[in-house]
Amino acid sequence: MKIDLSGLGIDYGAILPELIVVGTAIVVLFLDLLLPVARRRWLPAVTVVGLLAALIASLPLWGQNRAAFADTVVADSLAAFFNVLLIVITILTVLISPRFLRALDLDHGEYYILLLGATAGMMLLAAATSLMTIFLGIELLSISLYVLSGFARSVPRSQESALKYLLLGGFATGFLLYGMALIYGATGSTTLRGIAAFAAASGAAGNVLLLLGIGFLSVGLAFKASAAPFHMWTPDVYEGAPTIVTTFMSVATKSAAFAAIGRVFIATFPSISARWYFPLALIAIFSLFIGNLVAIIEDNLKRILAYSGIAHAGYILLGILPGTAAGFSASVFYIAAYAVMNFGAFAVVTALGAGGEQTADINYWRGLFYRRPFLATVMTIFMLSLAGIPPTVGFFAKLFVFQALVNAQIWAPLVVAVVMTIVSFYYYLRVVVVMLATPEEAVSEQPRVGISTSGVLGVAALATIALGVFPTTVLDWASHAASLHF
Amino acid sequence: MSWYTLPTGVPWLTLVVVIPLAGALLVALTPGVARSVIKQLGVLSAGLSMLLAVAVIGGFQHGVGNLHFQFEESLRWIPSAGISYHLGVDGLSLFLLGLNALLFLIAVLVTDPEMPRFKQFMLLLLILEAATAGIMLSLDLILFYVFWEAMLVPLYFLIGVWGEGQRIYAAFKFLIYTVLGSFAMLIAILAVAAINFSQTGQLSFDWAQLIQHPASGIWHLPLGLGTLGIQQLLFLGFALAFAIKMPLFPLHTWLPAAYTASPIPVVIVLAGLVSKLGAYGFLRFNLALFPDAAHSLGPLLAVLAVIGILYGAFMALVQTDLKRLVAYASMSHLGFIGLGIFAGNLLGIEGSLVQMINHGVIIAALFLVVGMIERRAGTRDRAQLRGLGATAPLFAALFLVVSLAALGLPGLNGFVGEFLIMLGAWTAFVPLAVAAGIGVILAAWYVLRFYQGSMQEAPPEPTTFGEVRPIDGGVLAPLLALMVLIGVTPGFFPAAVEATVKALPVIVR
Repeated sequence: MKIDLSGLGIDYGAILPELIVVGTAIVVLFLDLLLPVARRRWLPAVTVVGLLAALIASLPLWGQNRAAFADTVVADSLAAFFNVLLIVITILTVLISPRFLRALDLDHGEYYILLLGATAGMMLLAAATSLMTIFLGIELLSISLYVLSGFARSVPRSQESALKYLLLGGFATGFLLYGMALIYGATGSTTLRGIAAFAAASGAAGNVLLLLGIGFLSVGLAFKASAAPFHMWTPDVYEGAPTIVTTFMSVATKSAAFAAIGRVFIATFPSISARWYFPLALIAIFSLFIGNLVAIIEDNLKRILAYSGIAHAGYILLGILPGTAAGFSASVFYIAAYAVMNFGAFAVVTALGAGGEQTADINYWRGLFYRRPFLATVMTIFMLSLAGIPPTVGFFAKLFVFQALVNAQIWAPLVVAVVMTIVSFYYYLRVVVVMLATPEEAVSEQPRVGISTSGVLGVAALATIALGVFPTTVLDWASHAASLHF
Repeated sequence: MSWYTLPTGVPWLTLVVVIPLAGALLVALTPGVARSVIKQLGVLSAGLSMLLAVAVIGGFQHGVGNLHFQFEESLRWIPSAGISYHLGVDGLSLFLLGLNALLFLIAVLVTDPEMPRFKQFMLLLLILEAATAGIMLSLDLILFYVFWEAMLVPLYFLIGVWGEGQRIYAAFKFLIYTVLGSFAMLIAILAVAAINFSQTGQLSFDWAQLIQHPASGIWHLPLGLGTLGIQQLLFLGFALAFAIKMPLFPLHTWLPAAYTASPIPVVIVLAGLVSKLGAYGFLRFNLALFPDAAHSLGPLLAVLAVIGILYGAFMALVQTDLKRLVAYASMSHLGFIGLGIFAGNLLGIEGSLVQMINHGVIIAALFLVVGMIERRAGTRDRAQLRGLGATAPLFAALFLVVSLAALGLPGLNGFVGEFLIMLGAWTAFVPLAVAAGIGVILAAWYVLRFYQGSMQEAPPEPTTFGEVRPIDGGVLAPLLALMVLIGVTPGFFPAAVEATVKALPVIVR
């Protein structure tokens, strides 16, 4: 018997970047087994080489619209954009990892394998055009991150955070899967193209089954993007997980989740945008309120940044609200901006945290300008950018989102966003003021941060300012990537 | 008219912004212990900016150029969002540019290199100079906003870290007020561009584009709560930002706290310059982009300005802290500038432009004098200061000239602006002009009491109050020279700005 596979559209070129990342993970797995302990430092190098290869393989996807594997994945500009973004984040994470892992005695090969697994899942999620592949991507990234959160096996906080993430994450996956089942039940299709065709037909806006399904699907995606009120896990997991893992997942997970949110809401359901506008606007407003208000009372920098991340999920969601490619391009630009500045901010915490966990307490940061002028300076740049003060990329990120809202005449969420931005100045500038204050007591000196870490921090800080002065190129890329269509 | 022609092809205005930034970069690269090097770098870059500003003022040809703009630079910046890098200088901004350079040079000169964290102080001061210069030169609304926000951070830290007394409280209050206004303006900026886009099909934040199509139409409030003119709404968005910065009554409550907490170099810039940027914003944006709303809402703002004149004057009368006294005096004088702007006629606006320069010169001199008194006598309490002039006659003489200029004596600069503003206000609204006249009388009262109380009468005990040092005289000299010069050539400034003011839409209509 001969099985005919021609109709499936098998096209390995379309998923070549993902294949390379997974392949690298397998290579690292075996190297970890075979290499003598003294040669373990080869693992990050191999990881970076594999990621660079995947980066190069992603570039040809730009400008294409290549559906593959029976419409379950697509190789298009959005996928290429997020591939590059996610791979760069992962490379930067790997570059600052060894020093941190050695300091905490966590230098195991599994770390790189899990990191690569999570990256592959995120890349798949950004390219997914079917409910099945969306689920596959989310599970791959989630399971890797569950383990990574608990990677500091001897630290109870880390264990707690992994368990919390796992339980709540499993719960959210349940919602996601249930929503997918309902959508399939309503439309008879699992590919986004088929679902979009159904939604465009008349009567879809009144289909309760479909609307319920979209609702449950949104819960699952909002959980991954840590948007309120599905954010409960974020502060605890961010605080408990090893800082390097928090650095990675705070930017990478959110980016991938928003790529999927864009594909679902902008590309698949634009025809019934009147139905999902209100719940989504509510999620955005909740995120803005909770993220910005709770961050004020936190004293732990990792928790402050966790709540700030929730708030930024709100800003990114605002760009989805108009339901247009123009609005989504503002979101895509925001995601790239957020990735740069938030990665930088967490990386500073990581660089300081090579000595232990108490460094996230804001009192430890008193007078950092006099002890660690470089770290304090780049942290100031990241804080100003997160607050949205020009000339940093954070300003233009907010500007473009606000512009999209004004052009779409969406006023109420805009007013909330503006007021909450003013509130956010308090806690971002507080960090800077603390670093400028005179330290009350002498703090023991930590080891220097090392060349690769300072290099990564310097690159992130320069990018934060350079993109704030010349945002045009990335903005054009973002609007090209955001012009989705089926 | 111009004295000479500057070579074309040189981006003069970009240089005005870049030179302080380059100075800041050099300061950042200098080790913090090399205090004298940092000071010299600061003086050098502020001095270069001063030379450049003088060169631009000298080379400016009045009444020439597209919309009377000169030294225009226009580059594509973010074309897909309609944002450009567009700089230009006209009658509204020309002399402010000079004031900017002069006050920053003075601020840098009077900064004590032995202060704690001197390097960071100088760094922030130079960044601030670049931002304020950018505000005056930007002709793209987003570019303007970028500089406007960029000004905030250095000021916040300059007050919050190097201030005195309740500095954190003052800095934070200043921040919250300013940001509130800024965001109202940002939304209005975006809305102006969106409306212009729907009218012309061109997405642009360029001032020169937007001025040609003033927004019109009515906005229906939800729930049938009535209607608002769109132009009025946008006008108010911009007005909030500028009224807070200026500040206009009742948005002034951050002012006494911030002025009192600021160190002297910062308060010179804050009172002398930053407040003027609010007034400049009213002229550049509110009166130019929304002429109809300026006519309908002008009287309301003029009333607020006059309340500010009287409120500031009465508050100045009851202060015992000299710094607070000058802070309220500054607020009172700013009311005059507001009154001239909102009168909306040629005389009023010309007068307010002249008075912006005068106020910058006078208030900077007054704060310098307060700083000198405090350093020598160790206190700013009016009750404890008596007869200081006995041992420092030269200082007393300099102070006297400043005082007389502040209370508007004819022959000195303060009179020129106030007189023009009163003429303009008289043609627009007579009762307000009368009320503002009371403010002039009160000014004479609190200024002379300040001068006589501290300088004259016999000292209670033999004082060791020292005479002016060369540096004190050096920084006061250009200010005093300007006071006399503007006072004896009252026609110079109005003639220089007339072409620009006459072209303002609010005058044309």
